[in-house]
Amino acid sequence: MFGLNKIIPVEPNINFLGLRKKFLIFSIVAIIISICLLTVKGLNLGIDFKGGTLIEVSTKNTSIGELRDMLSENFNDVSLQEFGSKDKILIRLQNKSNQESIETVNEVKNLIQDKVLEFRRSEFVGPTISSELLLRGFQAVSFALIAILIYIWLRFEWQFGFGAVVALTHDVLFTLGLLSVFNVEFSLATIAAILTIAGYSINDTVVIFDRVRENLRKYKKMELVEIFNLSVNNTLSRTVMTSLTTLLALFSLFIFGGEVIRPFALTMIIGVVIGTYSSVFIAVPTLLIFKFRPQDEND
Amino acid sequence: MQKYPLWKSFTVILLVLLGVIFSIPSIIYNDDSDNWFLKNKINLGLDLQGGSYLLLEVQLDTLYAEELENLSESIRLLARENKVKIINVKYNINDVTITFENNIKIKDIKNSFFQMYRGVSIQENENRIIVKLDEAYKKTIQDSAIKQSLEIVRKRIDESGTKEPLIQRSGKKRILLQLPGIKDPERIKELLGKTAKLTFHLVDDDNTAALKSNIEPFGKIIVSDIYDENIKYLIDKRSLVGGENLVDAKGSFDQTEGHAVSFRFDTEGAQKFGRITSNNVGKRLAVLLDGVVITAPRINSAITGGSGIITGNFDAQGASDLAVLLRAGALPAPLEIVEERSVGAGLGADSIAAGKIASFIGMLLVCIFMVLIYGTFGALANISLIANIFIIISLLGTIGATLTLPGIAGIVLTIGMAVDANVLIFERIKEERLKNRNVYQIVKNGFDRAMSTILDANITTLIAAVLLFAFGSGPIRGFSITLSLGVIASMFTALMLTNFLVYFYLSISSKKELNL
Repeated sequence: MFGLNKIIPVEPNINFLGLRKKFLIFSIVAIIISICLLTVKGLNLGIDFKGGTLIEVSTKNTSIGELRDMLSENFNDVSLQEFGSKDKILIRLQNKSNQESIETVNEVKNLIQDKVLEFRRSEFVGPTISSELLLRGFQAVSFALIAILIYIWLRFEWQFGFGAVVALTHDVLFTLGLLSVFNVEFSLATIAAILTIAGYSINDTVVIFDRVRENLRKYKKMELVEIFNLSVNNTLSRTVMTSLTTLLALFSLFIFGGEVIRPFALTMIIGVVIGTYSSVFIAVPTLLIFKFRPQDEND
Repeated sequence: MQKYPLWKSFTVILLVLLGVIFSIPSIIYNDDSDNWFLKNKINLGLDLQGGSYLLLEVQLDTLYAEELENLSESIRLLARENKVKIINVKYNINDVTITFENNIKIKDIKNSFFQMYRGVSIQENENRIIVKLDEAYKKTIQDSAIKQSLEIVRKRIDESGTKEPLIQRSGKKRILLQLPGIKDPERIKELLGKTAKLTFHLVDDDNTAALKSNIEPFGKIIVSDIYDENIKYLIDKRSLVGGENLVDAKGSFDQTEGHAVSFRFDTEGAQKFGRITSNNVGKRLAVLLDGVVITAPRINSAITGGSGIITGNFDAQGASDLAVLLRAGALPAPLEIVEERSVGAGLGADSIAAGKIASFIGMLLVCIFMVLIYGTFGALANISLIANIFIIISLLGTIGATLTLPGIAGIVLTIGMAVDANVLIFERIKEERLKNRNVYQIVKNGFDRAMSTILDANITTLIAAVLLFAFGSGPIRGFSITLSLGVIASMFTALMLTNFLVYFYLSISSKKELNL
């Protein structure tokens, strides 16, 4: 109608599988760098997982420096940061015992009361809770990967499940690596984002796998590489379209959704891009190592 | 309309209409309406409406220590009855070892003790008795402590005037509190931070030597003053009467003493109190709250009416808070705040506003994009998308789910992902167009072929969302709820509503070619 649907050719014929070695090397390097970053630099853990105290205030005509001077006189482990705009300030305090932390919040609040328009939020996570939250987050991600593997295994052949999980692990590690590079805060919401990325990426992969399975049945004589290429091309416009609409919504969330949700939106944006990439360049080529034609064997 | 069953059209239209109608309560959002229909509105999470979330942990170790002390006290009494001297008592975390001067009566003591406490494990070893709290016994202590703590927390919160609090047990030894719309979480934390164990003890003013050398004689303890730690009192270890005998307490004002808390004992407490005060005229009576002295007035005359006042350096709030604590009763063990998340109303309102803008703009962008790419079919998908949003809102409202900030993110994400099913269908239709001529056949094949892909793709997303619900807490659960509802609604709108709309469009436009 508007001619824009011609951006993506109706029957694209791009040799994706021919590029697989280059992208495989790229991904392996990226994953190695990610793992190094995660072990050396680590993630910017938020208070959900590190424990500690966080207070967000909006100030009346007080600069962040002024507040910092007031607080650092009394607390030696306090850090301040502007949050979205000049008058919104985030105050973080290191973890102490539960009782002390609660008292510290009171002291901080009393100390800066006059300079503050509103205490927008205060959060405190004790050491036992933060380690529990980390454990549960880790469990959620692992169980999700296992459950997805089982589902794919039931619906497809196990080789597809393997390919899907390789792609998913790739997505999770790569995303975490980029979070470390950009120093994005890692919180409960990030875990949610990562699980959603897993769901999204697998969604993409499943659509392509579905087509691979269909084409395996349809073209019994065709080379595997060709079948995979054909399947990726068949589903290409859908892959691109869905990524674009999802990214449009996520950018809207990133720009307009407010400061609190921004790390979540950023993580999702990174993950959607990686997930889309991995479905085409990691999940499908992984199937090649099996040299299989499951339907032929069964017939 | 040809080739489209009437019952199906009817069902689709009805479901979408229901979605729109039941979104109304959430869109109007009338706070206090009692109307059955308007009550079906979305609950806002604490992060959106403002409020406090607190997670409290019952300090069971204190309780076990106390229990061990009680048990060793019983053995001490038994030893006295049997005229055996105890030479040493040693406490550990889970047990207490009592050493006697000889082992002549040790079997008798053990047996009598066993008669009294069947659940406690007791062992003898030469002239020692070891009393141990085993897991089962600890569990009974734990359960009753949590139950009692829950009740007292509930009373304290109710007395503080918080509206619609949610108070529930969480795990083995924790209590979860959600206090919507609360302005001053510090005061609540203070109310919960005290065990509020009120006890009355006689003060020993004669033995000044013990106080000076800081050595506690048998049966006495040294405690400090609440306002000045340097002021010490030597008091009887045994409490004469305690907070459990109180029937009422309230903040009052005394002309000479200022703000005070007046209290009244029940019959038993009144009798005890009367007896103590009449036997000990001239001595001082210390009033202790959680082991520190609030006040220690001299007993001028017997108090037999069963009521009195506690004075101290109270202000009005302090006196009324203490009264609240005394009325609610003492906690069996101290509560420690292990997690707190408080959001002010300002931030909540900002988050809602930002969420609305992000949803609206996200929706607009996706809709424009769909029309640019798919033309008329894109417009049809957009109608489905809008219906999808209505259905999510109406479901959230009718099942009484809680909308959180991550929940809003889930809706925005759904907007982006919901068109996926439509895209899958349209792309299939495009492919089918190359093989077929009849538009109805093309459309039918497109939908049929896309169906299994749509199911597979969405079920994997649902798996992730369900696990998120199982392992997530609070706000994150809100995200998994909106995401799951969004995924389910998008399957329905794509497979049913878009399907209906496409057939409807084809029948009225009577086109022989598909513009896609």
